Amino acid sequence: MLTDLRELYRYRELLAVLVARDLKVRYKRSALGFLWSLINPLMQMVVLTVIFKFVLRYKVENYSAWVLAAILPWSFFQNSILDAAQSILIHYNLLKKVYFPREVIPLASVLSNLTHLGLSLLVFFAYGLLFPIYHSHALVAPPWWGWALLWLPGIVTLHALLCVGLALMVSALNVYYEDVKFIVQILVNLLFYACPIIYGTVSIAVGKDPLSPASQSLFFWYRLNPMASLIYLYQKALLSHATPLDPRMRIFTEQDALVLAITVVECVGAALLGYAFFNRRKWEFAERL
Amino acid sequence: MRPPSSPELGRPALLAEGLWKAFPQYKPGMGSLKALFAFQARQKPEPVWALRDLTFTVRAGESVAVIGRNGSGKSTLLGALARVYRPTQGRVEARGRVAPLLELGAGFHPDLTGRENIVLNGALLGLSRREIAARMDDIIAFSELESFMDTPIKTYSSGMQMRLGFSIAVQTEPDILLVDEVLAVGDEAFQHKCYRQIERFQREGRTILFVSHDLDAVKRVAPRTLWIVKGEMRQDGPTDEVVEAYLEATRAAEAADDAEAGHSG
Repeated sequence: MLTDLRELYRYRELLAVLVARDLKVRYKRSALGFLWSLINPLMQMVVLTVIFKFVLRYKVENYSAWVLAAILPWSFFQNSILDAAQSILIHYNLLKKVYFPREVIPLASVLSNLTHLGLSLLVFFAYGLLFPIYHSHALVAPPWWGWALLWLPGIVTLHALLCVGLALMVSALNVYYEDVKFIVQILVNLLFYACPIIYGTVSIAVGKDPLSPASQSLFFWYRLNPMASLIYLYQKALLSHATPLDPRMRIFTEQDALVLAITVVECVGAALLGYAFFNRRKWEFAERL
Repeated sequence: MRPPSSPELGRPALLAEGLWKAFPQYKPGMGSLKALFAFQARQKPEPVWALRDLTFTVRAGESVAVIGRNGSGKSTLLGALARVYRPTQGRVEARGRVAPLLELGAGFHPDLTGRENIVLNGALLGLSRREIAARMDDIIAFSELESFMDTPIKTYSSGMQMRLGFSIAVQTEPDILLVDEVLAVGDEAFQHKCYRQIERFQREGRTILFVSHDLDAVKRVAPRTLWIVKGEMRQDGPTDEVVEAYLEATRAAEAADDAEAGHSG
């Protein structure tokens, strides 16, 4: 793996060029370019707010802000996995002609979506500059984010490692079984509902009290899903000054520390396993395409 | 039959030692998820041997052509030398920076401009952005596509794409150039220019491996030729002799075919 990493480092320029190409192609084609890819999460936020707040009368403060804080990292996850799944097949003509470390291709899918996450977080901060939020039933004027924001780089790094690992695995498998792409699509759609995006983690409770031991234990199991854990962390970092949907968000407990440790292991493990799996197969791709 | 070893040629640039390459041949549906679920996954695919026990050395500064019929393994050999395929057995080695002359559009993205595609293609050939920027003007000038540099490649004709691809491969000054049957696309004038570049390469002591069906081009470019039949080396020697033998064999095969057709007709 070390030799592979060294070779990858030698080709870092190619990776940078491929990421730049992905972003250019994505933003260049249409008049609104970059804006189109922001409109999608914003629309989701608006639709979810209308449905949950006004139609179903889900009584929570700052619902839109919570949804936005979750949907942006979710889009990063979803798009990088789905882009990566196809990436090797799309570039088969290069693989058959030119030598370069094959992982560059799925990595470029993840990194261009990561860049996009960075840009779309700017939208979140714009939202934070424009709209007030509620805290303990009182309106807090913008800008309202706090020191917890310093967690963000760490959370994004973990998240990116998870995406890299899954992207490598999925892109390699899809060379062998084209059904993988469809299975991944379904799994990603299901995973959406296993993460606190449209509902708050407050719903992950037994009975009415999220602080009861039974609720806490359920919450522990729920967060073994690394994406659920990561989105919870994103919300904690981005919205620490908003009234929490979930009273458990206010405090950092021993259980939180344990879950965080498990999430770190899961994300780093995914990256290592994904890379090891990819490396075992990568020189066969050109023969199978 | 050994090639004439000329003392002025340098160290080995391309090396193949007992090179074998097999491709697994998958029957339709094999290796699919369906087969996996039907527990047929253990069924081993029959290997197809594309290269059988090839051994040769190309010295730095040498130009060597590879000829053979379709499916004889020429492109697989080029792939093995470009490190795209791993040998099943034996060893290949290329000493120096290898530039495969990409097939039409292989390294291009249709939505990007000519200039952006030069950067992409250069990076694929292992150059840094700084190195590409330093050569940008030469590449553009050689391609004669100055006025098209800021339009997307999808508006280019195939001849224009070939010109750009050739310019990139040549102007990035590789030690070893692998050419796979692409020069046929350009117009007369550009082809002429390509041959002049190839001659410059030869004078500068760079190595060229040239795969072609165009025997006149082979005679023009390469003093030495490898003739491959069904993945095996049939002959390795001076181009005139090898091409003559190849033509002889082709005529003999045609005569045999005609005789066959005569019998059945």
